[in-house]
Amino acid sequence: MNRLRRIVHTFGGPAGFAGACIVGLLVFASIFAPLIAPHDPLAVSILDKLMEPNATHWMGTDQSGRDVLSRVIWGSRTSLTVAGFAVVIGVTLGVTIGMFATYVRGGWLEQAVMRVLEAVSSIPLLIWAIALVGIFGVRDAQWGPFTASSETKLLVLLGLLYIPTLARLTYISALIEVRCNYVAARRLQGVGELRILFSDVLPNCLSPVIVQATLLLAIGIIVEAAVSFVGLGVQPPTPSWGNMLSSGRNYLLSGEWWLSVFPGAAISLTVVGFNLLGDGLRDRFDPRHSTSMSYAT
Amino acid sequence: MMRPEPLLRIDGLHIAFRAGHQWRDVVRGVDLHVAPGEVVGLVGESGSGKSLTALAILQVLPAGARVSSGRIVFDGTDLVGLSQKAMNERRGRDIAMIFQDPLTALNPVIPIGRQIYDSMRTHQTISHKAALARIQELLELVGIRHPRERMRAYPHELSGGMRQRVMTALAISSNPKLLIADEPTTALDVTVQAQVIGMLDRIRRELGIAVLFISHNLDLIAEICDRVSVMYAGKVVESSTVETVFEAPRHPYTRQLLRCIPRLHAGTGPMPTIPGLPPRFDTDLVGCPFAPRCDEARDLCRTSEPPTWREPGHLAVCWDAT
Amino acid sequence: MASLFLRRMGFSLFSLLVVSLLLFVLTRSIPDSPARIVLGDQATAQQIEQFDREHGLDQPIVVQYAIWLERLVLEGDLGRSFTTGLYMNEQIADTFPVTMELVVVAFVVATIVSVFLGTLSAFYRDSLIDYLARLLAVLGVSIPGFWLALILILAFAVEKDWFPPGGFVPLSAGLGPHLLSIALPCFCLSVFYLAVITRMTRSSLLEVLSQDYMRTARASGLSRSRILMYAMRNALLPVVTIAGVSFGHMFGWALIIEQIFNIGGMSRALLTAINQRDYFMVQTVVMMFTIVFVLANLIADLINAWLNPRLAMASL
Repeated sequence: MNRLRRIVHTFGGPAGFAGACIVGLLVFASIFAPLIAPHDPLAVSILDKLMEPNATHWMGTDQSGRDVLSRVIWGSRTSLTVAGFAVVIGVTLGVTIGMFATYVRGGWLEQAVMRVLEAVSSIPLLIWAIALVGIFGVRDAQWGPFTASSETKLLVLLGLLYIPTLARLTYISALIEVRCNYVAARRLQGVGELRILFSDVLPNCLSPVIVQATLLLAIGIIVEAAVSFVGLGVQPPTPSWGNMLSSGRNYLLSGEWWLSVFPGAAISLTVVGFNLLGDGLRDRFDPRHSTSMSYAT
Repeated sequence: MMRPEPLLRIDGLHIAFRAGHQWRDVVRGVDLHVAPGEVVGLVGESGSGKSLTALAILQVLPAGARVSSGRIVFDGTDLVGLSQKAMNERRGRDIAMIFQDPLTALNPVIPIGRQIYDSMRTHQTISHKAALARIQELLELVGIRHPRERMRAYPHELSGGMRQRVMTALAISSNPKLLIADEPTTALDVTVQAQVIGMLDRIRRELGIAVLFISHNLDLIAEICDRVSVMYAGKVVESSTVETVFEAPRHPYTRQLLRCIPRLHAGTGPMPTIPGLPPRFDTDLVGCPFAPRCDEARDLCRTSEPPTWREPGHLAVCWDAT
Repeated sequence: MASLFLRRMGFSLFSLLVVSLLLFVLTRSIPDSPARIVLGDQATAQQIEQFDREHGLDQPIVVQYAIWLERLVLEGDLGRSFTTGLYMNEQIADTFPVTMELVVVAFVVATIVSVFLGTLSAFYRDSLIDYLARLLAVLGVSIPGFWLALILILAFAVEKDWFPPGGFVPLSAGLGPHLLSIALPCFCLSVFYLAVITRMTRSSLLEVLSQDYMRTARASGLSRSRILMYAMRNALLPVVTIAGVSFGHMFGWALIIEQIFNIGGMSRALLTAINQRDYFMVQTVVMMFTIVFVLANLIADLINAWLNPRLAMASL
């Protein structure tokens, strides 16, 4: 019983724990998709198209006869991959840039970097995402020997767009930490400034970054869905919750509700999970909510 | 000869704090009275319950604290259990309070003149022009120069001492009968402290206001108060006139407190302190709460709660008060 | 106060410049040049060169940017789109007001309702209203607006006939039909920010109510409404900031909502431009959003400076 209580506490309370469970479910589904999906998500079968939810197809079939449930499960893989890698890119680059800005503090470079980041983040994420995807196109791109699919381009783009928020968060925390006595002590020991920043200061700046990263995962899922919805993100036939909603929309007025309701429910549940988890982590690390920025869309 | 009814009389006041699911008494039976025009001091260390007692009078206790028993009789009415409406009629008008930290106690986004104005208009029927004139008078009274300009200032534009004066002006703006001063000088520099005390003394004499002066500083109490009550661990342990308490204290805590006051000609050497800490309020107290730190304690003190020794105008709660 | 205004203006302009430069460079660095798009894949190098010369595309980027900037600032001319040959001013003028109306209506309703709810929630803490408000807030933040839109269309426009499933009915066609056509889109647009602002108002007000100066206000015997005013003047500060940011973000979400409800606003302009590879139009549309966003933030900052004089004096 005590063990359970401690685990719940790690996630900042029962709500955070519930969030963690939902996220865990999502990760499980995306990793084991091939094993748990009842049908092949790409298997087209014109005879079976647009069937209502029934015993063989719990969530019905879409306009090409593909099983909706399997596509929803595989869609979790798409969404999680895009959102997850985007956050990884954003955190890695963002934290580095933020620490760099702290390193060069006191000069024009610091101001310049921060002002540019502020300016870029003055446009909402979604607009940047749509515009940039629009400009760079949705076809697979060739970069020397590498082929970048539409998914890859989207996640790289998102990752880059996360940089301003994460860089500023790191920078603000680092500026505060750098004034602390333990940093002065390390300097007196003769340790180089850069080394101090990355080995001593960085760990102390991470908790708001972790909270923000969790929230950005939720945002990533929504943005991927929104961008795919308008046809600019993950392209069919790869199942993504967003493009499923997009094609499902066409059948809304004729009554095939299952094409839209299930993918949307999946998105909502996932986002609820990440938001609860992020809130829980925030309560745990920073009960005064002074350094985390919430719901930046 | 009948003693005149005091302006404020506190009888057996108990204040409890919520700890988890229980309520635990922090103030455990305080008796206090203030006569019209009198200045009474309430002295004790942090955690003795003196501020809570003051907040209870105005019924502005923090969330999680409540009066569990006792009476607070002001001008003939028991304030405990009074409706918010009835209480509001007295707050700011008959009883006023000034607080410890003047920076956080004044609304940062409203000019000080406006804050006084709002309080005045709530309690008095007074025209806009007359109110403005009165505010200037009040600011001059508390010793703020150029009141006309200062009226428009925001709290963060003023120094600590000036803010305390503004709070005093706010408190006396509707001519209260009782002013509660909760450690008004603790957050100020020593030199400013003296000025503010001087100002408070002058005002109460000119306006005839009774003052309940709360502090942990015995010297300040001696300067301004007529009588003083000493609190320890939620109870009043000694109470008398300032002269008596300073010259002939009957409670060991008072005696040890007096010894701790630094004296200019006491020579060098370690300064005396009272060892140990006051008892935590979440523990059950057996015997006299001061016994663990008392240098005159006997076995009896540790096992049984001491009785209240009384003489006209003097009381002490100690086994050895005689 | 004036110097604060100038500083914020200055920073806003700087933001606009940075973003416009970034977009300008991006749209002119992609391999799909306008020449190729207009003339087709079979165009010869000579034809491309001629096209570029005619439209001033052969000059260095910095010069192009300077020209574009000058035309925009001095003449308010957004220029012509190379791909479609139409003047972008006209295209924007057709579509921008529609999106603007959607966002403004959604924003105003969301702000009023959420500040009211958040205040109730804080004052009657832990009551039924409080729990309901907090539950709605969590839901509102988590359920994506565009899915909510689909559900609502299913429920109210397909199953029942209360609202039209899409399309924008202009005011000229009647107030009733107009309101009906924007009701669902505005609601879906506002849900997220309603949740965020309710939560923000609640937590901000709770924090203010626990401050010492509120105790002083109570000890002075001020009336309930006066105490509320004293509290709100402090509590609204973070709310105003978030509201300013939200206004800009709503424009982004309006793009998606418009598509769902088939409303001809900026989203149509943007997506058409993307489909036609009309990148200059894309740049222009994004610039419009930027301007709105920057303006909204500026106004929010100014309101805050008026509410909180300490801010007006501190250097930003």
